[in-house]
Amino acid sequence: MTRPVIALFPEASFGSALNCVGIAQQLQRQGAVPVFLCHPGFSGVFAEYGFKEYQLPANAAAAQQSEETWQAFITAHLEHFNLSPTAQLTTYVAPTWEAIVDTAIQVEAGLDILLRRIRPDAIVLDNVIMFPAIANAGVPWIRVVSCAETEIPDAHVPPYLSGMAADDPARPAFEAAYLKATAPAHHRYNAFRARCGLPPLPAGQFLEPSPHLNLLLAPDAIRHDRKTPLQPDLFVFLDGCVREEAQFDPPPLPVNEGPIIYLSFGSLGAIDIALIRRMIDVFATLPARFFVNVGGFLERYEQVPDNVYLGSWFPQPSIVAQADLFIHHGGNNSYCEALYFGVPSLIMPYCWDGHDNGTRAEQTGTGVHLQRNGWRDHELRGMVLSLLGDTRMLERMVAISDAMQKKNGAADAARTILAKIGCHELI
Amino acid sequence: MMKPRGNTRQNHISLARQIIETVLEHGYAEGDHLPESTLSKACGVSRTPIRSALKILEKSDIVRRRDEGGFFLFAAPDRIAQDGLSDIEDMVGSLASRILSDRAERRITDVQSVSALARRYNAPRSAVLNALKILTSDGIVVQMPGRTWAFQPILDTPNAIEESLAFRLTIEPQAILAPGFQMDSRKSGLLRQQMNAFLDRPDGRLSASGFLHLDCAFHSFIAESSGNRFARGALLAHHRLRLSTQKDQSIPDFRLRQSLEEHLGIIDSLERMQLQLAADQMVVHLRRSQIRKPRTVNRGILPLARGAPA
Repeated sequence: MTRPVIALFPEASFGSALNCVGIAQQLQRQGAVPVFLCHPGFSGVFAEYGFKEYQLPANAAAAQQSEETWQAFITAHLEHFNLSPTAQLTTYVAPTWEAIVDTAIQVEAGLDILLRRIRPDAIVLDNVIMFPAIANAGVPWIRVVSCAETEIPDAHVPPYLSGMAADDPARPAFEAAYLKATAPAHHRYNAFRARCGLPPLPAGQFLEPSPHLNLLLAPDAIRHDRKTPLQPDLFVFLDGCVREEAQFDPPPLPVNEGPIIYLSFGSLGAIDIALIRRMIDVFATLPARFFVNVGGFLERYEQVPDNVYLGSWFPQPSIVAQADLFIHHGGNNSYCEALYFGVPSLIMPYCWDGHDNGTRAEQTGTGVHLQRNGWRDHELRGMVLSLLGDTRMLERMVAISDAMQKKNGAADAARTILAKIGCHELI
Repeated sequence: MMKPRGNTRQNHISLARQIIETVLEHGYAEGDHLPESTLSKACGVSRTPIRSALKILEKSDIVRRRDEGGFFLFAAPDRIAQDGLSDIEDMVGSLASRILSDRAERRITDVQSVSALARRYNAPRSAVLNALKILTSDGIVVQMPGRTWAFQPILDTPNAIEESLAFRLTIEPQAILAPGFQMDSRKSGLLRQQMNAFLDRPDGRLSASGFLHLDCAFHSFIAESSGNRFARGALLAHHRLRLSTQKDQSIPDFRLRQSLEEHLGIIDSLERMQLQLAADQMVVHLRRSQIRKPRTVNRGILPLARGAPA
């Protein structure tokens, strides 16, 4: 039979993009032809992993995207990342939803043309919003929830982006504030959906569950007990979805002793240079080796301590596999990689579902949650040393890792997708 | 307790020398497995420092890590006996290399004085001056008026790597096309063998440092073969700088393999004396290498690509 073409459309974030690379590697291995739809700026990322790319046409706004635009974004939002999840609703979450809706509207025509050209057998959407061209493409579409499980609401699951426990007494107030903050973007989005022939979504929701298949990147160890269980034939939980990545050999450092600690706040978190500099000052006093992802801002650092190594990019799965502790922002991809390799997390969230994962790590004994700017040097130092010495947590992490590696979520994802589109003979 | 700064690396270099002596004493042959436990016993230290020392030897192409696990002797014992010890001293152990490595990792600033370096490395001023002279001869540092020394641009950041590729895109195809291009077929055969051996490794075992060595060797070979003396000189100096200072861990295995296949394709064309084709292949090769991941991304705002207009 002809090999099925699966079009993967991750949102323009490294977490989704690389999560989809993991699934695409397995789809390819299982006989399908994965191709990527990508936003301008991401071109080349997927080709470097050997996949064909189709770039969405750049519109006028995109053509003007520049360092200046990003600087304005950073200036506007850096201080918001220190706010509580509730305070972020109006300062960060609402404007971000407005921008996401803008993006969905801007790419619609180009996406529709691309899909007609590619004529895929199925579409994998790893995003937080529905693009009507996908729902209208006439082929099965698969939703990948690569954010925290909180993205799919339930009475026993904490509210999305809240960082709360499910039974937090402040829950109703947060939920009301969320709906109020997102209402203008939601209203605009529903109007757009109507123009494209799609039914409206309930308040606060921008992406419906797929009627074909939904994959959730929520390993067993951190999964919530839902009041209304999800339909098992439509919702499949994945135990990690880790891509195959280049090997990282930690270079010998001038002070080359002690456990390996990896820090990455993602490409967005790297904009907070002051925070990372402050952390590096503390790292210099610790008996460990630190590998720090500073993203595109390497040139802003000098006088790097002898037990610290800075990089603008690390092949994360390889270095996490070798690490004794992973300090990150609670991005779901990072958190799941930590679980997959049995590495405790020190989560310092600054926005979105990082708050939810920070809380979940505490609840499940898989890491600790530290307020991003609310620490003193001795507290960070104590927390790192305590995590390195927490044998109970480490034992738990090893057990979780063993279970996840046996299951291989990326291979499961590919198998389930192919089965859903009737390609059993490829599996 | 941490050891005093700067001592650990020196210890690993001494250990690398000890490992070479052990290899020669035990009569290991090229391709032999070097069990860490044996080396650990012979040198009287634990396996962790042995592993670090083996990584230093790997950088000097004396040992190689293989997918079946562990390190193997990669060079012939007679070559090691002849060059191995001085290689270690010269290639990675010298003060010049340590200074350069520390600058590339942004541990020391771009302007330095002899006394500050002497203090950092606990070395005599004469040794520091000697190291700075070595770095000067490669154009890596220049002496400033007064008592300071300034580092020249090195390949220590994504932006610097991007500029390096733009520079090479201008010069390397021309180095092939300039009249008088002449290739040493023995060297091209050796390079071909080394690249094929690297390609034979499974995914996940292609080390970035191993690739950089091969990549610099291939591009230096093209430079050496050029008929234009200025292109030759500029490119050879640049590839030496790349080898000493470039760090790029971001290349997935697929692209590493594709890149080596492109090298082999260029050698094929050169062997057939299809110089124009080889130059065009070089343009494609370097343009593909220019693709880099976006610098910063966030929901709702399009990614900022590297080299985006200011």
